Amino acid sequence: MHISDGVLPTTISMAAYAATALGAGLSLKKIRQEDLPKIAVVTSSFFVASLIHLPLGPTSVHLLMPGIVGALLGSAAFLSITVGLFLQSILFQFGGLTALGANAIMMGLPALFCGLFFQAIRGKTLLRNTLAGALAGGLGILLAASILAAFLYTSGEDFIGVAKLALAAHIPVIIIEAAVSAFTVSFIFRVKPELLHSVLR
Amino acid sequence: MTEALPESAVSIQLSVPASILPASLVVLSLAFLFALLLRKKKQSRKKGQSDWSIPHLDRHADLDSFFHNWNPAVKVASLFLYCFLVVSLKTLVCSAAALMISILAVYFSKLPWRRSLQRLAAMSGFLIMFLLVLPFTSKEQPGEILLIFPLFPGFPFHLNGFLLALTIVVKACAIALLMEPMLGTSTFSATLQGFSRIGIPSPIIQMILLSHRYLFVFQQELVRMLRSMRVRGFTARTDILTMKTMGNFFGMLFINSYDRTQKVYEAMLCRGYRGDFPTFHTQEVNGKDLAKGGMWIMIGFILLLTELMPSLPSP
Repeated sequence: MHISDGVLPTTISMAAYAATALGAGLSLKKIRQEDLPKIAVVTSSFFVASLIHLPLGPTSVHLLMPGIVGALLGSAAFLSITVGLFLQSILFQFGGLTALGANAIMMGLPALFCGLFFQAIRGKTLLRNTLAGALAGGLGILLAASILAAFLYTSGEDFIGVAKLALAAHIPVIIIEAAVSAFTVSFIFRVKPELLHSVLR
Repeated sequence: MTEALPESAVSIQLSVPASILPASLVVLSLAFLFALLLRKKKQSRKKGQSDWSIPHLDRHADLDSFFHNWNPAVKVASLFLYCFLVVSLKTLVCSAAALMISILAVYFSKLPWRRSLQRLAAMSGFLIMFLLVLPFTSKEQPGEILLIFPLFPGFPFHLNGFLLALTIVVKACAIALLMEPMLGTSTFSATLQGFSRIGIPSPIIQMILLSHRYLFVFQQELVRMLRSMRVRGFTARTDILTMKTMGNFFGMLFINSYDRTQKVYEAMLCRGYRGDFPTFHTQEVNGKDLAKGGMWIMIGFILLLTELMPSLPSP
């Protein structure tokens, strides 16, 4: 779920922009110049993957993948997600341009955290990697939903109901995302394990 | 204190401009209806298959209009600032005025309405949530109007919450409608140059350009992979098999894209890539461009200042 224009007060969206600029700047500093084109190419594959909707009972959900992006890109994840969200905003209007900062914080911080978390617990066996993938995937959505709720909560007392609903709506997504992430990580571990301790970090 | 309550309730009821509310409601419901129709039509044409095509932002960049003849850097800078001014609006009246201005902007940009309506449809889920939830959960204020429906006496309908939700929706639509005139009236690279002029660092601009280019490549790859899955009898359901298949699918997609990065980078080096893309067309900024920019920013400030006048209600 992306925050659209007009929801957050201007002060909060400006502050989120400033924080995103800081995060992207730090991310940019850590990455070698020659890796930027590569991260850009990987970013478009994440973007395309997030367009796929999986059926969930009568409706469908699309994956957000902060966990997987964090696990694969490490510290470059924040930059990758910011670029991806910018493109989603200008191409599809998923998330407004004025709320881009808030959306980047909402998805980027969980990605960074999940990346560290994944590397810390993944160990060396297939089983542990798969479990770590599931935890990182689920945790990514949980954190993103919590940050979304926090943004809405700080925007005014009127938004508490919406914040709660948004949090509840993400529970099925957490489960699906955890399962799909587990399978994705297990697949990558078997086929191309070097991707998991990526060169692009 | 309690005796003063009904009186203030009446005054609030009167202060809501009677004509604006139904008018904006009509506009909104029409817009959403249109968007839903559009969606349904597209779905029926594809017969249940989802559409994952990625829109070309600058397909109509070669037309001739107010927005097309505007220097992209000044256009992006001033409209971006204008969007922030619109976000800062607090009253329904001024937000509705901003929506009207945006509708006029789309009209004068000569761009087809389809893409603008698709943008509204893309936001509709998030915004409908506000329209449905805010009226029932917003904080109770002294003297506000509550509607109590016969079937749900426990959930009073707050008029203030409804007005707040409506203001949000109107503002979001106003900004979303402005996106096509802002981004679709110059070539994509010119628009991005505009963004780089307003301070986005050039490495990020290049990443955006490159990512955008490869979106279409991976989208085709994705369609190809999904087609071969369907040929082998895969149908998406809500079960663990679907998740496993899709997990493997994403793994394959990421590995393919990762393998491609090295080739792409080497091909770029062969063509003389040294860390930035040279630009050959830089349009000069003339006085007319600046005047247009100044006009938009002034409109934004006028809307904002109108709100501060005491005669207008603040829902």
